[in-house]
Amino acid sequence: MPQASLDASGSSDQTLLSPEMMAKLERMELVSRKIFRGRMKGERRSKRKGQSVEFADFRNYVAGDDLRFIDWNLFARLDRLYLKIFLEEEDLHVYTLVDDSLSMDFGMPSKFLTAKRIAAALGYIGLCRGDRVSVSTFSKASAPLVVRGRSSSHRLIGQLQSAQCQNPAPSMEESVRHFCLRNTGKGIVILITDLMNKTGYETALKMLVAREMDIYLIHVLSPEELEPNLTGDLKLMDAEDFDMREVSISASLLQRYRLTLNAFIDSARSFCNRRSIGYVSVRSDQAIDPLINDYLRSRGLVR
Amino acid sequence: MTWINMLSPLQWALLLAIPPAILSLYFLKLKRHESVVPSTMLWKRAIEDLHVNSLWQKLRKNLLLYLQLLFVGLLILACIRPGWSGMNRLGERRIYIIDHSASMQASDSKPSRLEVAREKAMKLIQDAASNDSAMVIATSDRASVEQGFTNNRSLLEKAVERIEPTAQLTDVSEAFRVAAGLANPGRMSFEDNVDIQVADAVPATVYFLSDGAIGELDESEFGQLKIEYVPIGNPDTPNAGILSFAIQRTETQEAQANPGSISAFARMIQHGSQAIECTASLYWNDSLVDAQKVQLQPEQETGIQFELQGIESGTLKLQLDHSDALPLDNVAYAAIRPDRQVSILLVTAGNTALETALRTQRITQIAKVQIEPISYLASQDYQTNASESKYDLILYDSCSPEKMPAASTLFLGSVPPADIQPAVRDSNSADAKADPSASPETTLSTNAPANVANAAEKTDSPPSAVALEENPKWTFGELSGPVIVLDVNRSHPISQYLEMASVGIVEARTVRPPSSGAILMISDNGPLFAIAPRGPYQDAVLGFDIVRPSAEGMEINSDWGIKRSFPVFVLSAVENLAGGITEASAASVQPGLPVQLILSNRFEKYQIVDPKGKIETIQRSGDGRFLYTKTEQLGVYEVRAEGLEEPVERFCVNLFSNRESDLQVGLELKTGAESIAATSNTIRARQETWRWLLLLAIGFLMFEWMVFNRRIFV
Repeated sequence: MPQASLDASGSSDQTLLSPEMMAKLERMELVSRKIFRGRMKGERRSKRKGQSVEFADFRNYVAGDDLRFIDWNLFARLDRLYLKIFLEEEDLHVYTLVDDSLSMDFGMPSKFLTAKRIAAALGYIGLCRGDRVSVSTFSKASAPLVVRGRSSSHRLIGQLQSAQCQNPAPSMEESVRHFCLRNTGKGIVILITDLMNKTGYETALKMLVAREMDIYLIHVLSPEELEPNLTGDLKLMDAEDFDMREVSISASLLQRYRLTLNAFIDSARSFCNRRSIGYVSVRSDQAIDPLINDYLRSRGLVR
Repeated sequence: MTWINMLSPLQWALLLAIPPAILSLYFLKLKRHESVVPSTMLWKRAIEDLHVNSLWQKLRKNLLLYLQLLFVGLLILACIRPGWSGMNRLGERRIYIIDHSASMQASDSKPSRLEVAREKAMKLIQDAASNDSAMVIATSDRASVEQGFTNNRSLLEKAVERIEPTAQLTDVSEAFRVAAGLANPGRMSFEDNVDIQVADAVPATVYFLSDGAIGELDESEFGQLKIEYVPIGNPDTPNAGILSFAIQRTETQEAQANPGSISAFARMIQHGSQAIECTASLYWNDSLVDAQKVQLQPEQETGIQFELQGIESGTLKLQLDHSDALPLDNVAYAAIRPDRQVSILLVTAGNTALETALRTQRITQIAKVQIEPISYLASQDYQTNASESKYDLILYDSCSPEKMPAASTLFLGSVPPADIQPAVRDSNSADAKADPSASPETTLSTNAPANVANAAEKTDSPPSAVALEENPKWTFGELSGPVIVLDVNRSHPISQYLEMASVGIVEARTVRPPSSGAILMISDNGPLFAIAPRGPYQDAVLGFDIVRPSAEGMEINSDWGIKRSFPVFVLSAVENLAGGITEASAASVQPGLPVQLILSNRFEKYQIVDPKGKIETIQRSGDGRFLYTKTEQLGVYEVRAEGLEEPVERFCVNLFSNRESDLQVGLELKTGAESIAATSNTIRARQETWRWLLLLAIGFLMFEWMVFNRRIFV
């Protein structure tokens, strides 16, 4: 994970995307490692052959084919009818699922704000590319906002802006199940979460994998979680289920915590890698600009 | 090696309570700060084995707790000053001599001088270095080692606590002899060759805590002793005291008519610089009978006299109604001896000298004399009276009963019956008794020449010095004469006043007592007069008659009867053999000194009732005299016999000591030419602070532990 400098300007600013940022995002596009069928003509090549300018193949003419696609040059040379096949360009479905559980409401800036910014930035990229962008949180996974076109960007940002951490938040597994039930189409799923789920994240991810979607997991962790600044005898309270843990902080305990955290991150990463899930780890204090421009680009999520 | 316990049970309990206190602090942790975290999921995994699940799981990991407990354990160990009674070199030796004589009861230093002395001694003991060994001696008119040399302070402190006030006089020489015996090599601690020298002879420091009323010390006693005199009490404490109190029957003609006339005399003194006026009250059997105003001039003795009528017997108490520091010497006791007439039987064929001697005024006052002819011995009356102890003394003048009576006897010129012989214990004597040929004559004939030789050789020494051969029996020689009395035993009360130089004796026999007896008179032929105990009685045998019957009637055998020493002898015999008492006033002794009691031989057992009512039963010995030594209490003691309502004897214990009454504390001790100045009130001693430091360390440790658990800096 790159050590990003703290975004001083954004630390207290609740603005999701600045105009400069938006200008940069307009030039980017989301990368799908799979080619999906869209519903409308878009800017993406589709598996379907169609009427685009992108040549795909030739095939023999059979009766009933559209005469417009016959390659007449080839007929002149070979005296046989061949049909030129072009790749169809279609739109892309981009689903963004943001974890809005209370555990996300930590960090400075909070993990949730960072998650919303990432969701806004990626959504804006999608809108600019004519993709179908769907944004939902765990608690509203059944009622997502679906927009298309750059003109809808304010709706997207407004929706995200108004999102708050929910208590009690539905579990990740439940939210993903709802999401899968509603969205049968294929596309990119960007899951922004801290994975702090006591019931585990594996079932939820497996459900997404089963939908054959192109999945990206953006794992947001706050600096407080990565380097806890705790001392003394404490009673730690879980923000979500108010579980109490009495600890006496010592160097050995902190060391043990770091080891546990690294093991947690590693296990999540290896879980994702084994299932072709793009795993991206993000610190909540990372500035959004370099995060999108450099970090996510290097990770292959955008280009 | 043996473990020496240095702590009292309470101190042990306190020390042993510290580790549980630390443990409880460990568990009674203060409230934890609450901190909200996004999820305890990771923490839960991290703290899984650090989490406080059980008590011992928690203890297992806490090295700090173990270190702390170890530290406290070592502190406690240090506190109890571990040590074993090994052969270590001892440090300085200290001897604490604490005066607990009567004057130490003075209350000028609150609560009393003795209490102050004990406190100072305690302080000195506490201030001593840990390897110093010390002993504690309490002294009054005698010394008692309360605690031998030890470096165990608690033993020393207990010994000091044991010292009780007494009403006795002061004689510290014995205490210093004991101390010097331990400090100086080759010295015995006690005169009876019992050396309690438990320590090597090394120089020692004597801390003498006293008010200085001790007279002069013999500095030659000190040797290697270094004397530190710690004066106790205020130097100028005034005190009035009675120095003497005595009573006497009035001997005037009118008084003779009135037998209850008594004169009481008292002498008193005021120590200090101011004259006082007070009332001297006289109580008879605890009821006030007279009182006088007394003016006591400073440092001057004043005498007063009371004339009393109708006082037949009882106790008198004189009290000075004056409040001063020492109330002990404001009271004096005197007792009138109970009237007691001893019963004397004289069996004689007629002896004018003896009968006259028994008719003197002194004897008629104390004894009832019955004179009977020799034929009386055969009467039933005599048999009964003699066997039932009706008589205190029976005098056999030239006659002898068939068997010895149950009374003390005095044989004049006659040979006692065979059962005068003491009980035979060894086999030799049994053989001798069984052999009828072993007649007195035979015994005499074999022993007499040697005795005479012995006597001739030892004429310079008193007869008591003549060694009695191992002779379990009385032996009597044959009559021979004339006889010259060589010497009398001046140490025996019967013979001490006898002057026999001019006494002529026609014929006499030697009288040799058994080895338990004493020879009272010795002649050129051998012992002439001897005395020996027989059970609770005494038998005296005089080897010659005064007058004896002959064919021509009575003839004089000795002119002793017309000498002045004869009535003296008879009186002494009546007083000592019969237990007759001639003095009207009872004996008075100073506390702690022995009193000699002359007790009638009619009773075997007597009870002595002390002023506090404590009763002690004594068994009368063959000698009618008895030395009673437990005279620690001031007041009147009564001697009672079984079956008698009135006491048979009284005696008083009075302080009567100018030195004890003088409460002006001497600031130096006189030792011959030199004097020992009082040690300054603050004796230089090591003041140990380690206990406080240790307590501070323990407190600090507890505080640190608390801070550690609270994490105040969070």
